[in-house]
Amino acid sequence: MATMVSTQADIGRVSQFLYEEAALLDQRRWFDWMDLFAEGAMYWAPLTPDQPDPINHVSLFYEDAMMREVRARRLEEQRAWSQQPLVQAARIVGNIRLGEPEQDGEILVRSTFIMAESRIPFHRQIAGFYTHRLVEREGRFLIAQKRVDIIDSEGVHGNFEGFL
Amino acid sequence: MAIDLNNIGALVEEDQVHKAVYTDADVFDLEMDRIFGHAWVYVGHESQIPNTGDYHQALIGRESVVLIRGEDGKAHVLYNRCPHKGAALVVNPCGNAGRFLRCPFHGWNFRCDGRLLSVPAREGYEDTRLDTRDPQYSVKRVARYASYRGFVFASLAEDGPSLEEFLGGISLSIDNFCDRAPEGEVEVSGGVFRVRQRSNWKIFFENLNDTSHPMVTHESSVNAARAKYKSLPEGSEMPFQLHIIEGNGEPYDFWGALEMVAYDHGHSYMGAIFMPPTDRISLEHQASLEAVHGAEKAREILAVQRHNSVIYPSCSPHTSFQQLRVIRPISVNETMVEIYTFRLKGTSDEFYQRSVAYANIVNSPSSNVMPDDIEVYARCQEGLQTDGGDWVSHHREAGREKAEGDGRYTAGGLSELPMRNQFRAWAGYMTKEA
Ligand SMILES: [Fe+2]
Repeated sequence: MATMVSTQADIGRVSQFLYEEAALLDQRRWFDWMDLFAEGAMYWAPLTPDQPDPINHVSLFYEDAMMREVRARRLEEQRAWSQQPLVQAARIVGNIRLGEPEQDGEILVRSTFIMAESRIPFHRQIAGFYTHRLVEREGRFLIAQKRVDIIDSEGVHGNFEGFL
Repeated sequence: MAIDLNNIGALVEEDQVHKAVYTDADVFDLEMDRIFGHAWVYVGHESQIPNTGDYHQALIGRESVVLIRGEDGKAHVLYNRCPHKGAALVVNPCGNAGRFLRCPFHGWNFRCDGRLLSVPAREGYEDTRLDTRDPQYSVKRVARYASYRGFVFASLAEDGPSLEEFLGGISLSIDNFCDRAPEGEVEVSGGVFRVRQRSNWKIFFENLNDTSHPMVTHESSVNAARAKYKSLPEGSEMPFQLHIIEGNGEPYDFWGALEMVAYDHGHSYMGAIFMPPTDRISLEHQASLEAVHGAEKAREILAVQRHNSVIYPSCSPHTSFQQLRVIRPISVNETMVEIYTFRLKGTSDEFYQRSVAYANIVNSPSSNVMPDDIEVYARCQEGLQTDGGDWVSHHREAGREKAEGDGRYTAGGLSELPMRNQFRAWAGYMTKEA
């Protein structure tokens, strides 16, 4: 069904959506977060900044709904040893800009994020860029694709357990 | 307990090892000299440096080295050090040096095989003791390097067994890796993951063939994958992505029935844990091998079914998913593991893309499987530093392995033979004076 979407989308509404999304992740509300995705949507964190595609090259994350759900379920398992103590995170999302949509009916949103992550006693900072492709359905935004490019994607990493 | 470095052999017994092998910084330093200063260590794959000047950085113990394609078309392994003032010549993990290696400090230039090419304002060295023909003013080459079917290994020691003698029977894992390619060759492709572990390098090596940990360590990802599968429509086939996670939940009998084989020098492998797949992509692969070799030889190649192989002390190929893990000790309690994915020359894009998917699920820093491994390794590193005990047990099925007489030692699938075998090699290196 055709919906009302345009690049003129209210930047305030889009920003609010990104803030709410970040808050769901900070609060470890994985299942509510997954509800933000449109059908068939992918969550993708390339390994290299210029990575042409997610299927001929390895990625830090390349997950469909099924694999997102496996991750969410694992994080809540009682015997997820690496979640004792829990990994906690706090994100700031900013520099939100609307871009030229690649596909009709989509809103392209670019933003920058900084995320502090702690698993006591360890602490690290993760920073990078979000690229959201949003669609509007029945008056609410849904994520058609979320791409995360962290600035040191090709570095040596500890685990990324939750979603970025 | 203070460790007597002159009696290092006392740290290893047939069925147990002293905790100091994992936690003592002096022992680590000695390993760098005596193990990584002698063994053949995997450096990189020839396909990573196809053209003159292409390079790939690697670590051999503490030594930063560069695998580089010379003007002579050969792969060379050089110390990453300018012979003038000592500056590192390359800093990127990989790249192309151009027509020659140029030091960014004073502009000394070297051929890609390391030989000195030119020194600016050369007249300043006239009548000095510096003779530009003296090899000490060329980039130093590592003592020995050799390629086994494209896999380049190097040894910092002038003497010792040849690469083929060193590999012994485990070379079949590399052969099978390549033979699965219809063209008989493989190439690195699609990026490399680098993962940090807060634990000693040997803990990871032991885990590669540790069959009694998956059902315990990986309970969280096994449960998550099984729960997801249950939510799929009744009668669904388990998707590949869930299958490779859920497989860790197999009971002890399953692992006990696997093949477990060890060789001298610390090498070993365990039998495959996933049945030879019979889906369209796999059948096409089989057909392409049959087209080249005939049905019988193709069957022979595919009948070699191995999960992780251990090439001690530097790497672990996984032949049926076309990947190689490279293990680099950083300090006594930190290890870096690199994961390379390979394309089998002559196979379809789809076939390769399945290897990429496997690496994403199992080896990415975001893997749902690996964090629990890395966590238990770190817990060992932590617990071993307490005074709660001095010895680490490797007793499972000790003394029950069989020497087959052809260089192979075989045991039950749950045996800790691979760990005992690694420490037999470890003690061999460590008790030999440099
Ligand atoms: Fe494991």
